[in-house]
Amino acid sequence: MSEKNLLKGNIAIAKAALNCGCSCYFGYPITPQTDIGEYLSLEMQKRNLAYVCAESEIGAINMALGAASSGEKVMTSSSSCAVALMQETLSYASSDELPVVLVNVMRAGPGQGYIFPSQGDYNQATIGGGNGDYKIIVLSPSSVQECIDLTYKSFYLAQKYRNPTILLVDGLLGQMAEPAIINENPYPDVDNSSWRLDGAKNRASRNIHSLEPNQTKLNQHVVKLYQKYQEIEKNEQVWEEYLCDDAEIILTAFGTMARSVKAVCNHFRQLGIKMGVFRPISLYPFPYNRLRELSIKAKCFIDIEMNMGQMLKDVRLGVLSNAHISFIGKPVGDWLKKEEIINAINNIIKEQYASI
Amino acid sequence: MQVYSIPKSIKKDSKFTFCKGCDHGVAIKLIAEIIDELNLKDDTIAVSSSGCSVLLYNFLDVDCLEAPHGRACAVATGIKRAHKARKDDKFVFTYQGDGDFASIGLGESMHSALRGENITAICINNTNYGMTGGQMGPTSTMGQYTTTSPLGRNKEYHGFPIKTAEQIALCDGTQFSARVALYDIKNILRAKKIIKKAFECQKNNKGFSFVEILSSCPTNWKLSPQDSHTKIKDELTKIYPLDIFKDTTND
Amino acid sequence: MSYIKIDKDKCKSCYLCMDVCPYKLIKKSNNIGTTGEYTVEFSDSEKKCIGCAQCAIVCPEIAIIEVNRE
Repeated sequence: MSEKNLLKGNIAIAKAALNCGCSCYFGYPITPQTDIGEYLSLEMQKRNLAYVCAESEIGAINMALGAASSGEKVMTSSSSCAVALMQETLSYASSDELPVVLVNVMRAGPGQGYIFPSQGDYNQATIGGGNGDYKIIVLSPSSVQECIDLTYKSFYLAQKYRNPTILLVDGLLGQMAEPAIINENPYPDVDNSSWRLDGAKNRASRNIHSLEPNQTKLNQHVVKLYQKYQEIEKNEQVWEEYLCDDAEIILTAFGTMARSVKAVCNHFRQLGIKMGVFRPISLYPFPYNRLRELSIKAKCFIDIEMNMGQMLKDVRLGVLSNAHISFIGKPVGDWLKKEEIINAINNIIKEQYASI
Repeated sequence: MQVYSIPKSIKKDSKFTFCKGCDHGVAIKLIAEIIDELNLKDDTIAVSSSGCSVLLYNFLDVDCLEAPHGRACAVATGIKRAHKARKDDKFVFTYQGDGDFASIGLGESMHSALRGENITAICINNTNYGMTGGQMGPTSTMGQYTTTSPLGRNKEYHGFPIKTAEQIALCDGTQFSARVALYDIKNILRAKKIIKKAFECQKNNKGFSFVEILSSCPTNWKLSPQDSHTKIKDELTKIYPLDIFKDTTND
Repeated sequence: MSYIKIDKDKCKSCYLCMDVCPYKLIKKSNNIGTTGEYTVEFSDSEKKCIGCAQCAIVCPEIAIIEVNRE
């Protein structure tokens, strides 16, 4: 397994899931993530694992909810407008503290939109569309290798914190092939014998529910969830820095966008401009702390996304008023090209940062 | 000789929180008795749903997961398949109302039946949305007065109710589908026999089994418990006949 | 001697048991229950109870917690 292979992002995710012991997959077709379900349909049947072609995304995520209660590693995958259908159950899974892993390979919206490239689901993933106070761990890969590594991590964090986890993948990355290694899953299995539902044999019966007619208890439950989220925020902020140490201008981008942004950074470095790139890998918990440290030295930040500025608000929350913040983005279509970004940055520098 | 005692699968000191005379209590009691008789307590995972049926986990002393409204059969599918994947088969059943099973969750319910999931679904049909105060549901009968059909259910205005057990029997994956009632001793005993058969259907790995239970809702019907049972006997069983609509368990 | 035991704290006064008892041995008591009505009690001075358990079978509250048959 430890040799480099040309792998598509979607297939890499499916292979990694199998490799780290995912025994249940439930899904419904939607482009551009369908390869995941197609690949797993045969592989899981061969291994006598649980695979259901669900009647809808609502069916799929609820099967995942049920399966997660057994303590098994479960996954469902979908895309943008169909992930919208899953929001109710993500809220339930958060309250129930059930480790469901959801892969969202993004297409363009709003509504049905189309299969064009877009990073329009940042808000949907990090803020969520379900009801009540809850948070979902969100990881964002920028390469096929990272699709593998972060799939492992998604399963691990989901089990470790008993929390739903979303792997937020650009459609571009899901469909793109590049060399990658299916390495070993580096994370240990988490003991779930204290909470899983596997029949009340030699122990008291357990129940998992989100309904709580006692307001004091419901209050305590949400407070307890938030203590867990604080723990997640303390331990699990992950990011990548590229030439940030002496940077005066820092470009922020997530997912595949960060790759073209790095090329842009190299261009400006060659011109002697001190530029760096900051890429959040965990979108929740967002790496605010590190961004704030960088904002004390840097003079300005330029956020670059394939949407109308969804991560921008988190960049603002990290940077506060320590530095200027600008935005470059477009919602849908051909990925922003290196030249387009360079031109846009030149304009920003000319207009707003002439003094620095 | 003690001939009757509280079923072992009922939680100690639990007190039903249903309205006076509601048949939910009888249905849960029967399920508990059958779990005891088939010795399933240690291997059962129950799925409760939204509505009056949600509180099942407060009464039954088995592992229980609450499903989002309507999704009990999908959740049960996930549970059943996950345990099968770990080669540790469990007994999985859902306990749902008619609104949950046959309205908001009809897609999940029917597709579980079509796939022939080896689970059992129990549906309490009281012809209205009970917990929210008696609104018109998928099984409200023609002419029935509810808070959202104040002039009576009307075919031109509201359309027709669903005969759930008959519909589920049409699915190829369904191995057992029946309708029972709880309005007198004879019917309670018949219901127990039939629910037991549905549970055995799963135990013998036959496939999807379903029992619809005609139940009283004295509060929202605005009838006494006695008159509610008379209504089921005289009116509802004419519309929703008590029968076994499909049974392949002996094939 | 056959007899039943009633948990009056569970009784919600639906009186379904009173209707099914073949010898009418279950009556309203003086105790007011959770629904604000009189709960039921078992009174069998003439030892008529046959332990048929019909009362327990119809009780929606499992308030009839025991039936003993001679």
